Amino acid sequence: MMSRQKMKKTAASVFTLTVLAAHFSAALAEEFITDTGEHIDITDWECKFCEFEEGFSGEVELGAGYVSDDSYKFGEYTGLNEEGAFPVGNASIRYRDDIDADYLNLSLRDAGLDSRSLRIEGGRQGTYDAFLFYQEIPHFLSDTAMTPYQGNGSENLSLPAAWVAAGSTAGMTALNASLRDVDLEVERKRFGVGLRFIPTAPWKYEVAVRRDTREGKMGTSGAFFFRGMNLVEPIDYETDQVDVSAAYRGKDWQATLHYYGSFFSNDNDSLIWQNAFAPIVPGATFGQRAQAPDNQFHQLQATAAYEITDATRLSGDIAVGRMTQDEDFLPATTNPNLNAGVLPANSLDGEVDTLTANLKVHSRPTDRLRVKGAWGYSDRDNNTPQNAYTWVSTDAFVNAPRTNLPYSFTRQEFKLDADYRIDNFTRLGAGFEHENIERTYLEAEETDEDTIWGELKVRARQNMDMTVKIARAERDVSDYQPVAEIDPDQNPLLRKYNMADRTRHSVRVIANASPSQRATVGVSFDFSTDEYTDSTVGLTDARDAAVSIDAGVQLTEDTSLHAFAGFERIRSRQSGSSIFAAPDWEARNDDTVNTAGIGARHTLIEDKLDIGADYILMRATGEISVDGSDFPDLENDRDTIKLYANYRLKETMSLHLAYWYEDYDVQNWSVDQVNPDTLPGVLTFGEENESYDVNVVTLSVRYKF
Amino acid sequence: MNKKKLSISLLFALLCFAFSASAQQPAATSAKAPLAGKYTEKGADTCIKCHDEDADYPVFDIFKTKHGTRGDKRSPFAGLQCEACHGPGVAGAEAMQETLDRGGHVGRVRPGQERPPILNFGSKSDEPVELQNSMCLSCHETGDHISWKGSVHEDADIACAKCHTIHTVADRVLERETQPEVCLDCHKTQRIEFQKPSHHPVRTGQMACSECHAPHGSAADRSLIKPTLNETCYSCHAEKRGPFLWEHAPVTENCSLCHAPHGSIHAPLLEKRTGWLCQQCHSQAGHPSVELSPAGLPGGSPSPFLLGDSCLNCHIQVHGSNHPSGVKLMR
Repeated sequence: MMSRQKMKKTAASVFTLTVLAAHFSAALAEEFITDTGEHIDITDWECKFCEFEEGFSGEVELGAGYVSDDSYKFGEYTGLNEEGAFPVGNASIRYRDDIDADYLNLSLRDAGLDSRSLRIEGGRQGTYDAFLFYQEIPHFLSDTAMTPYQGNGSENLSLPAAWVAAGSTAGMTALNASLRDVDLEVERKRFGVGLRFIPTAPWKYEVAVRRDTREGKMGTSGAFFFRGMNLVEPIDYETDQVDVSAAYRGKDWQATLHYYGSFFSNDNDSLIWQNAFAPIVPGATFGQRAQAPDNQFHQLQATAAYEITDATRLSGDIAVGRMTQDEDFLPATTNPNLNAGVLPANSLDGEVDTLTANLKVHSRPTDRLRVKGAWGYSDRDNNTPQNAYTWVSTDAFVNAPRTNLPYSFTRQEFKLDADYRIDNFTRLGAGFEHENIERTYLEAEETDEDTIWGELKVRARQNMDMTVKIARAERDVSDYQPVAEIDPDQNPLLRKYNMADRTRHSVRVIANASPSQRATVGVSFDFSTDEYTDSTVGLTDARDAAVSIDAGVQLTEDTSLHAFAGFERIRSRQSGSSIFAAPDWEARNDDTVNTAGIGARHTLIEDKLDIGADYILMRATGEISVDGSDFPDLENDRDTIKLYANYRLKETMSLHLAYWYEDYDVQNWSVDQVNPDTLPGVLTFGEENESYDVNVVTLSVRYKF
Repeated sequence: MNKKKLSISLLFALLCFAFSASAQQPAATSAKAPLAGKYTEKGADTCIKCHDEDADYPVFDIFKTKHGTRGDKRSPFAGLQCEACHGPGVAGAEAMQETLDRGGHVGRVRPGQERPPILNFGSKSDEPVELQNSMCLSCHETGDHISWKGSVHEDADIACAKCHTIHTVADRVLERETQPEVCLDCHKTQRIEFQKPSHHPVRTGQMACSECHAPHGSAADRSLIKPTLNETCYSCHAEKRGPFLWEHAPVTENCSLCHAPHGSIHAPLLEKRTGWLCQQCHSQAGHPSVELSPAGLPGGSPSPFLLGDSCLNCHIQVHGSNHPSGVKLMR
C-alpha cells in the first residue's frame, strides 16, 4: 500500500516526459528525462515477452436462426418481428501494425437483421484516424392496425368509391368491407463518416458528418371538429449533422472549440385526407394538416478548463446557437367554401437564438475538503415574428385571428457544495442550489427553486461502502396568472405543474459490498415526494420509490451466478373541475413495476463446452382510479428465458447454440375490445394489444483468427 | 437583462483569463503522473513473465489495444510500458519475489492479504481513487474528458477502471451492445425503467447510454451530451425542434415534462396515460376538463377522451404545428 506521503508527492508532481531517443532502435540508448531531472534508463526494456500484435486478427460468426411467430413488439427494435428463418452474421476484425501504429477495426453486428450495423475505424494511431459507420434501427409500431383509407404511405389518403360517410361510425356501412391491414413501422438508417487528425501532440481536430434517414409509416389522427379518424402518416425524414472540433491540451489547461450543425428536411409537407364522416359544413370533405417543417440548428461551443493551482480548477463553457425554420405555409383551409383571407406571411421566418454558459470552480483546499461552485445560464430567445392569423377550425369554421406566441425561456442556476472527509472511512457533504426560470407568454413569468442537500458516504473497509443523500427543494412562484391570449381561459385554480409552488423531498441510499473477492452485492433505494402546495386544480402530489438489489458470485473457477431484483412505484394525484370552478373530481395514478432476473455461467467441459442461462421477469401494472371508480388494471407481464451453449471444436472454431423464449401478456383498455367503429365519433385502427409468445433459436459457427 | 449581460461578460473574462494565463505555458507532448520509487531494469518483461495468459489476471490482450502500440509515442508501450500506468515496479517485483522465495502465494489477492506495493486499479484496489484516476487523466484529460473534474462521477469517487477494462481487446463500456450492462450495474433504478414496455432501444442493444449522457461530465444537467436536455433529444428527433408557428410551451421548455426517457408503461414514453397527462395542465371549460371514468370504456359509453389516442385523436400536433390554422394543434 502506498504511503500518504507518496500519494501527495504524486498528486503534486505532474510533469512532462520527453523521449530523447528513438524508441525502436535497440542499438541506441533510450532515456526519459522528467522535468524534475530524473533520468529513467529504458535501454534494456526489450519487451521480449510482449506479444505485440501484427497483421489481421478477429472473429467471424455465421449461422442461421428461426423465429417461431410474428410479433412486432417482440422485434420492435431488433428486426425479429416476423416468423421465419434469418441469417446470423457478426464479425470483429482487427489489423494492427505495432511499429507504424497503423490499425483498422471493423465491427459488423446482426448483418442478417433489420438492426444491422457496421463500423470501420482505422488510420495511424496518434496521427490520424478515420471512421465510417452504418446502422439500421427499425421501429415496428403495429401489425394489427386496420384502415379503410387508400394511399397509405403517401401524402394523400382517400376512401374507396363505395364509402358511405355518416354522422357516426355506426352509420359507415361500407366500413367492414373497406378495412385493410396496414403495418406501422419506421426504419432509421444512420450513416456517418469522420476524421480525427493530430498534427502535433497537444492538438486534435475532428470532423464528423452523419446522415439519419427515417422512412415508413406511423399512426396519426385527423379531425373535423369533434369527429376524428386514425390515419397513416408517411415518414420520410432526413437529418444531416455536422461536428467540427479542435481540442488543445496544455500542461495546466485544456480547451475545445466545437461547431455543430443539424439540418432536418422532410419530403412530405402535409397530409391530406378524406373525411370519413358526413361533413359538418359543406366543403369539409378533405382535411389537410402540416407535417414537420424543414429546419436547421447551428451552434458554436467553446469549453475550457484551467488548473489555477494543483488543487483548484476553473472550467467553463459557452454555446451560442440559432434554430431557424422557414417552410412555406400551407393554406389556412382546403375548404373551397371558406374564406380565411390572406395569410399575414408566406412562411414563419422562425428564429430562436440559444445561449448556454456555465462556469465552475472546483477546489480541494485541503486533503479533506472539496468545494465546488457553479453558475449556469441557459437562454432560449424566440425572435420569431408575431402575426395575427385568421384560423379555420378543422377546415369547417373560420375564427377570429389569433396571434402566435413565441415562447422564450431564461434559466439561471447557482450551486455551491462541499464535502469533508472526516476520517478514512467517512465523508460528509452538503450543498445549496438556486434555480431561476423566466418565461414569456406563460402563466408564471418567474419561478425560483432552492434546494439544499446533505450526503454521507461511509466506507467500511475497502470492500463495503454506503452513500445516503437527502434533499429538500422549495419552488416558489411569485405570480401565477392565466395567459390572456389563450382562448378559452384556463380554470384560474389550475396550476401547471412545471410552474407551480412545490416542495420536494428526496432520499437516495446506495450500498455496495464485496464480502469476498468472488462475491458482490449492491443495493439502491430512491424515494421522492412532490407536494404542489398551491395547486387546487392540476397535479397535486406525486411520489416515486424504487428499490433494487443485485448480486454476483463466482462459485467456482467454472461457475458463476448473478441475480437482480427491482421494484418501482410511481404514484400521483390530480384534481380537475368539469364545471370551471372548484375541483369536482380527483384521479389517482399508481404504476408499479417489478422486475427480477437470475442467471448462471458454467464451464461444463474445460476448454470445450461453456453453457449459460438467464431468466428475467417483468410485471408492470398501471392502476387508475377517478373518484374511487377503478379502471381495469393495465397489465404488462413479460417472462424471458435465454439459454446458450458454446462448444469449441478446435482452438479457432466453435459452435454456438442459443435459445430465446419470451412470453408477454398485456391488458390495455385503450385498445382492448376497441374496434374501428367502437367509438361513435372516432374511426380507430382497431388494434389489438401487443401480447406475444415467441421462440427464437440460432445456431452459428464462430471462427477466430 | 443587464444582469445577464454582466454575467456573460464575467464568464468571457474568466475564460479569457484562463487562456491568457496559460498562453505562455509550453505544451506537453506526453504528460505522466509519476509515482515515487524505482523503475525496473527490464520494464514490462519484469511483469509479464508472470502475468502471462495463464495467470489469474492475464494482461496480454493489452497488446491488441491502443495502449500496447509502440508506434504511437503517446502509448504506454512507447515509453514506460507497464510502469507508465502502474508506477515504478521495483518494490512490487521485489515483494513478490520475496513471497515466492518464502513459498507464498502471489496470484489472486485473498481477503485480508496485503496487496503488493504496485499501483493497481479498479473497485477492488486499495489505492485512492483520485490517485488511480490521475494516472489516466495525465494523458486523457482532453476533449470529452475536460469536464471530468467536478463531474458527478468524479464526485462519487468513481475510478476510471470501475467502468473501463484496459487489458482486454474490447472494453465493454465502449461497445454499444454491452455498455448498458456497465452503466446499469450502478444505475439500478434505470435498469428497472429500461425493462418497461415503452423504452428506448437500449435494452435491446441498438442504443448506448452515451448517446445521451456524457459519463465524463458535461456542463448540462444529468451530464447530457448537449448543452440542454431538448437539444440532446433533437439530435435524434430533429423534426420536433421547430420553431413552429404554434408552439406547445412545455415541449419547447423541457421534453421530460411529459416524457420519461428511460421507460414507461404508457407509450410512447409518457409519464402517465394521455388523458390525465394533458389534464394536469388543461382545465378549460368544456371537454378538456371532463371527468374520465370507467364508464367510458367499451361496454359502457365509449369515450374518445379515453380510447384510441385519447386527446390525440384530435389534437395530434402536440409537438407544435406550422399550419396557419394549427392554433389548437389539430392541423
